Amino acid sequence: MADRIKHQLFFPHPPEQVWEYLTRADLMQLWLMPNDFKPTIGHEFQFKTKPMPQLDFDGIVYCKVLEIAPHHTLSYSWKSGPGNGKIELDSIVTWKLVPKDNGTELLLEHGAFKGFDHLGMFSALDGGWFKNMHKIAELLNVANRETTTL
Amino acid sequence: MKQQPFDVFQVVADPSRREILRLLSKDSLTINSLAEHFDMSRPAVSKHIKILHGAGFISIQDIGRERHCLLKQEGFEKLQEWINYFDHFWQSRLGKLKSLLDNKIKN
Repeated sequence: MADRIKHQLFFPHPPEQVWEYLTRADLMQLWLMPNDFKPTIGHEFQFKTKPMPQLDFDGIVYCKVLEIAPHHTLSYSWKSGPGNGKIELDSIVTWKLVPKDNGTELLLEHGAFKGFDHLGMFSALDGGWFKNMHKIAELLNVANRETTTL
Repeated sequence: MKQQPFDVFQVVADPSRREILRLLSKDSLTINSLAEHFDMSRPAVSKHIKILHGAGFISIQDIGRERHCLLKQEGFEKLQEWINYFDHFWQSRLGKLKSLLDNKIKN
């Protein structure tokens, strides 16, 4: 089971140009969401979008700049919840720019979902379910036999 | 029962609940035998089990006098749904970014 999202995209533009679209609030708004981002470590900012009550999302993504290396790396926390400052989704978004001969490779990773951090076990679960189903079926059989013999 | 998608993250954010899932991933267990793995009181363990049950991570079956817990796929699928949601979200936003920058070249 995947525990993070990864995307990779090539741009025929220099890293400086791609970087602008990742770090200038007015340009970010054009493709992402309205925001008050500033390229400073520790800066707290928000993305604002339409609330989705059915998803327990009040429309505000609470973020904080965690890492910033101009034209190379940008990472911020990405948290959201149903409102009143309650956070239920806690994750990290990281951007990396790799300069190429004729452009820039942009790498996005959205991961570190809180709750997923120690869940490497997820991938091992498929077999576990089957085994447990099997076991419970056995137990139920035994229980039924016991009831019928009583 | 109404499920809140974001809640699944809260549910698995708790170390004791993760430990319960880890134990159950090896074998189905009764509530009593699960409680033996923890220092906390049995009611406290029961509370965690109730939360995991409510979020669709485990099912509880009464067999004889014992209550057996076993993993259930539903809760894990919800986590996967959220990963899928963001996957699509970023894909569409990156598409937008790409066309913005492509237009820049043309102009």
